[in-house]
Order: sequence, then structure tokens, then C-alpha cells
Amino acid sequence: MNRAMYAVMKKDFRGIISNRRLFLELLIVPLILTIVLPSIFVVAIHFAPDDPDILKMLELLPQGSRTGGVEMAVTGLILNYILPVFFLMIPIMTASIMAASSFVGEKEKHTLETLLYCPLSVKQIFQAKVLASFLFSMMVALISFAAMMIVLEMEAIFIMDMLIVPAAGWIVILCLLSPSISLITVTLIVRGSAKAQSVEESQQGAVFLIVPLILLVAGQFAGVMLLNVWILLGLGVLCALLAWVLLQKAVGRFTYEMLLK
Amino acid sequence: MQTVVLENLSKTFSGGKKAVKDVSLSLEKGEVFGFLGPNGAGKTTTVKLLNGMLVPSEGRCSVMGYDPVRDPEKVHAVSGVLTEHARMYDNMTGLQNLIFYAQIFGISEEEGKKRAMVLLEKLELKEAAEQKLAAYSTGMRQRLSLARAMIHRPEVLFLDEPTSGLDPESAQNVNRLIREMAGEQGTTVFLCTHQLRYAQEICTRYGLIEEGRLLAQGTLEELREEVNPGAEILIRGENLPESTERNLHVKIQSEKEIPGIIRNIVEAGGDIYEVKIVRSSLEDIYFTLTTKGKEEET
Repeated sequence: MNRAMYAVMKKDFRGIISNRRLFLELLIVPLILTIVLPSIFVVAIHFAPDDPDILKMLELLPQGSRTGGVEMAVTGLILNYILPVFFLMIPIMTASIMAASSFVGEKEKHTLETLLYCPLSVKQIFQAKVLASFLFSMMVALISFAAMMIVLEMEAIFIMDMLIVPAAGWIVILCLLSPSISLITVTLIVRGSAKAQSVEESQQGAVFLIVPLILLVAGQFAGVMLLNVWILLGLGVLCALLAWVLLQKAVGRFTYEMLLK
Repeated sequence: MQTVVLENLSKTFSGGKKAVKDVSLSLEKGEVFGFLGPNGAGKTTTVKLLNGMLVPSEGRCSVMGYDPVRDPEKVHAVSGVLTEHARMYDNMTGLQNLIFYAQIFGISEEEGKKRAMVLLEKLELKEAAEQKLAAYSTGMRQRLSLARAMIHRPEVLFLDEPTSGLDPESAQNVNRLIREMAGEQGTTVFLCTHQLRYAQEICTRYGLIEEGRLLAQGTLEELREEVNPGAEILIRGENLPESTERNLHVKIQSEKEIPGIIRNIVEAGGDIYEVKIVRSSLEDIYFTLTTKGKEEET
């Protein structure tokens, strides 16, 4: 990493933070997914713990998940089975917004051409931009997780008088799954950026990445497949491999001529 | 020392449009070369070829000895480029923009700031240094782009229409800066423009291009010699021989013919008020060349 690449990354970070509209867009979804949604779940469980449907659902769960009282079990269920899938939407969304704004946004505003006249190779420019988008989405994901845990623990302490312990799966999600998903998103947006003429057009591509997650959410709610640490680890390795392959293919396929079209 | 070299350079786009056709020329260190032609003549394409943004279909080119196809980064490190489409960041101030571009050219933040302030002062943008670019006018943006192209003290400057959108005063300022860079720092300037009068003010040598073909190149004197040799004298007076008007135009090959012509008029009883040598301007040369080209085509 040289000074020039670092300057490009710093500029991209500043670009997204100084754009208030874009920054709010970036904050609102993590806020809903990690604070509002879990809080609604926790409050709902506290005020309706004896709901027959919930009790029936608990009976279906593996033995290990049913320790403690009903409230504890349901809260654990939400934290460890439902929220991870929602949480994975955060890297997809932040990475796609940041990548689209940093690649196609520059093309749209005619600043990419100026950047191409600098002594960095196309590959280095792309590496710096991919890294900036990746780090930014990781930062948002980690802050979101921290915020979610603080709020949930506080709610658990004040409302239920207990502490919630996140399952080991969260380590896999934070360290493997969300970085790989974020990298896949960035790479796909970057691949499409040579053809896309506007930020909106480029972001539309990221919508398809949400589809597998929606299937996972459906799977979780329907009880078809429960996310345990092994499934998460498998998914994580698969995504990491996919991210690596996509990244290798994306780097090096760009030429100046193609980017300036 | 040859700084920019083009050898039989051609570019045909994938749609079949031939933007540059077999252009050969070379630039010496410290010269201000005017690459002149109408819009769509192939000037910007040539700049892009010289910077590796486009790959030539035929021929080759080099900047400070580097091949832009093989080593575009090395070419970029020694050149500064100003084109209409290379813009800067609206969400950053003028100063922040310049510091950023200095940094990507490997210059430290403090040194970048120092250089930026000097350039901003020279281009009369010092008051706007802390303003976001979004608030800049077209002329201010153009001047800032010039500062951006100069911040790393390049050995070659590629300027595509540097004075477009500038008021006369700012244009003068820009000219002074370009001359200063070429004269004091030995920067080679490759200046593309369609404003022939402007080019005549600042350039030391010219290349005239139309529809991708280089029509002629050389200093103004060389071009005059090649295209419109000789000059014309305009004599204003009364009772001029062989003329019923008060103005007489006489074609001459050399200045030495003038005293004889005047003597003949005076001896024939003519009264002379004014004698002026009219040499063909760049514009005259350009139009002679383009008309000749069109006649040859038909």
C-alpha cells in the first residue's frame, strides 16, 4: 500500500461521510435491523410470553436451545437464529452503496478520468477502492453489532433481569461470513461498474444478492433449516472462496479505454 | 531533447471512425506546441493516446521516453493533463482537491499544501481556496484544473482547451503561467485548441490537424513559407497608379522590394499616407490549408 493508494481510500471515506443524504441512507437500515427490530422482538416476548404459538415453536427447537425460562429461550432464539440473517443484509447494503458511489459515482461525475491520469495503475486504483468499500462496510457491520448487543443487553437487564449470551455462530458471522459477503458485493458492483452509467443502475445489481438471504430468512422462520455454527462456517468458507475467485477475476480485466466509455 | 514523439500514429475506433490518421511529429523540451484544429479533429484523441487512455491502432508514441501503452503510470508521473472531462471533487474545497492530487502523485501533505497555495495565488484563486468546488464558477474550475495539472511539476503538460470558459483577464493569467512553466522550468507544453488567435499568442510551434490528418507543422515563419510564401503590403494614399481606390494591395516575396515599389508610386505622382506589411496569420494559413485539402478531395 503506497501513499497514493492510501490517499484514494481516505478520499473515498471522506466522500461518503460528507454526503449527508448517502450517509443517512447507510445508517437507517443498520439502525432498524440491529436496534429497532430486536427491541420489538424483546418487548413482544416480555409482554406475551405465554403465546401458545411461541410455546409450540419452542417445543420444536433442539434440546440445547431450551435452557432457562421461556423468555430467555425465545430471546436466545431471536438473537442466534433470526437476527444473524437480518444482520447479513448490513454488509451487502453498505458495501453496495459505498462501492457504487466510489466507482460509478466517480464515472458519473467525471472524476474517474482525472484519477486515471495519476501514476497509479488501474489495478492499484481498483484495489484501493475495493479495500475502502470493504473496510467501510466492515466498520458499519462491527459498530452495528456492538450497538445491537449494548441495546439488547440493556433491554434484557432492565426488562427481564437477565443477560443474553450470543452463540458462537456470531464469531463466524463477524469474522468470516460478513467480510466475505461484503467482498462479494463490492466485487460484483465493481464488475458491473464499467458498463453502468449511473449509481442507481449499479446498485440495482446488488438487489439480487439479497435473494439468498431472503431464502435464509424464510428457511429460519419456516424451520426448514436452522443456522448452527457448522452451517454458518460452511456458508462462510463457501462465500470466502467465491469472494476470492470473483476478486481475482475482476482485478485485471479493466482497461482505461473500457472505463472511459 | 525530444520529449513527446508520435510516429505514424493512427486510431480507429471500434465503430470504424478514424479519429487520428498517420500523425508523426516530435516536441522539444521547453517548447509550447499548439495542436490546432476544429472540434472533432482528433486533438483530444491524440492526448488520450499519448497518455495511454487509448491504445493506438497503428504506429507508436512516447512521452519522455516512456511508451504510454506499456508504462502508462510512468507517463502519468511525468505529465500533467487538463481535459474538459477530467473534473475534480465537488464535495471538497479547492485546497483539499489540490492536496489530494498532490498526494496521489506521491507528494507529502505539507509540501502539497505549500505548492497548492502558490498555484492558487498565481491563478487568483486564493480567496476561494477554502470554498467547496460546488460553489466554483466554470472559469474557476478551469483554473483549478490547471493548478491540479501543474501541482507535481510535470515535465510535459497536456492542455486541452485551457482557456475555454475563461474571461480575458484570467486567460492572460493562464498564458503567463504556461509561458513561465515552459520558459523557467523547461516544461514541454502540448496545447490543443481551436482558438487560433489565442494559440498564436502563446505557442512557439504549431501542428494543424483536420479530420485526424496532420495538415502541416512548424513555426509560424515556417508555415508561412510553406503555405503562403511572401507577404502583402497595404499602401494607403491618393492618386495611386493602376488603382482608382485609396488602398493598394501588392504581393511581395521579400521586404527588399518595398523601397522600389514606393519610389515608383511617388515618381508617378502618387501621395502615400501609410505603408503596412500584412503577413498571413495562423488563421489565414489554416484556412488556406483546409481549402486546399477540400479542393484536392474533390
